[in-house]
Amino acid sequence: MSHPERLQTRIDAYLMQLRRSLGELPPEEVADILREIRGHILERADAAGDMSEERLVAILQALGRPEDLAPLYQAEALVARARTSYSPTLLLRGALRWAMLSVRGFAIFLTGLVGYGIALGFLAGGFGKMIAPHDVGAWVSPGSFSIGTTNNPYAHDVLGWWLVPVGLAVGASALVGTTWVLRWSLGFAHLRRPMPGGSV
Amino acid sequence: MAQDADDNWERQVRKGWLELAILASIWSERLYGLDILRRLEADSDLIVAEGTIYPILNRLKRDRLVESKWVESQAGHPRKYYWLTAAGRRRTIAMARHAAGFLTRIQELLAPLLAEEE
Repeated sequence: MSHPERLQTRIDAYLMQLRRSLGELPPEEVADILREIRGHILERADAAGDMSEERLVAILQALGRPEDLAPLYQAEALVARARTSYSPTLLLRGALRWAMLSVRGFAIFLTGLVGYGIALGFLAGGFGKMIAPHDVGAWVSPGSFSIGTTNNPYAHDVLGWWLVPVGLAVGASALVGTTWVLRWSLGFAHLRRPMPGGSV
Repeated sequence: MAQDADDNWERQVRKGWLELAILASIWSERLYGLDILRRLEADSDLIVAEGTIYPILNRLKRDRLVESKWVESQAGHPRKYYWLTAAGRRRTIAMARHAAGFLTRIQELLAPLLAEEE
């Protein structure tokens, strides 16, 4: 392999790794990013004049590792898509991405998880009661409360048929509420980067 | 250990100022990524990893604070030029005011401490 070819291979390997790490972004955005980063490398290389392998390694090192660079794009992109979405999975993925970057994000992710968990539990209880009225209930026994089925002989069903409207209403409210809380808090995600003197 | 903490603090401070510095660098002219980097290298001490400016520019564009366009260059590969939108100019001014006020207050806070050091 000749000298320029070896350098080209190195650049390609860097961009390939970046492409792999950028996986979940739309393809046209990935192409745009790679084009810009390739331009950066080539232009730095041109400016260096006589190109050596060490010089190229230094350029790539200054740029940062592809694995470190890619999440910066993705966190921004995913959070941006999530904050205008109504999809619980996209919202939770956005919050999870944010959770990896900050404590605030982690708190929001947990809130989302708990909120959707409650929604799922109550909705399942409401629908379950319609399907299997004798097995499904809102069971209360000393020291515990659960919605669903039970094999605890001391538990008694506190809601009876009321579980249907209550389950559906509470479940739907938790679903809508959690979605709005996530959308609202993800809206602040990009404003809350560390800026001396607080957010602007 | 204390050295690590110092480095980390410094990195965080730089990161916080970087967005404003990028916006300020394209205040009066259109620049492409490497031009912005060179400007920041010359006028500030903010860059940690060079690559970090690109995701920031990407987000500023998504937030419609900057606009961009690919332009063919004599260098043989196209360059992506960035400039501020009207919303970007307003935000840059707001950030600059905030930052300047903040710096003044911090300087007042630190002045007695630095005077004592001398």
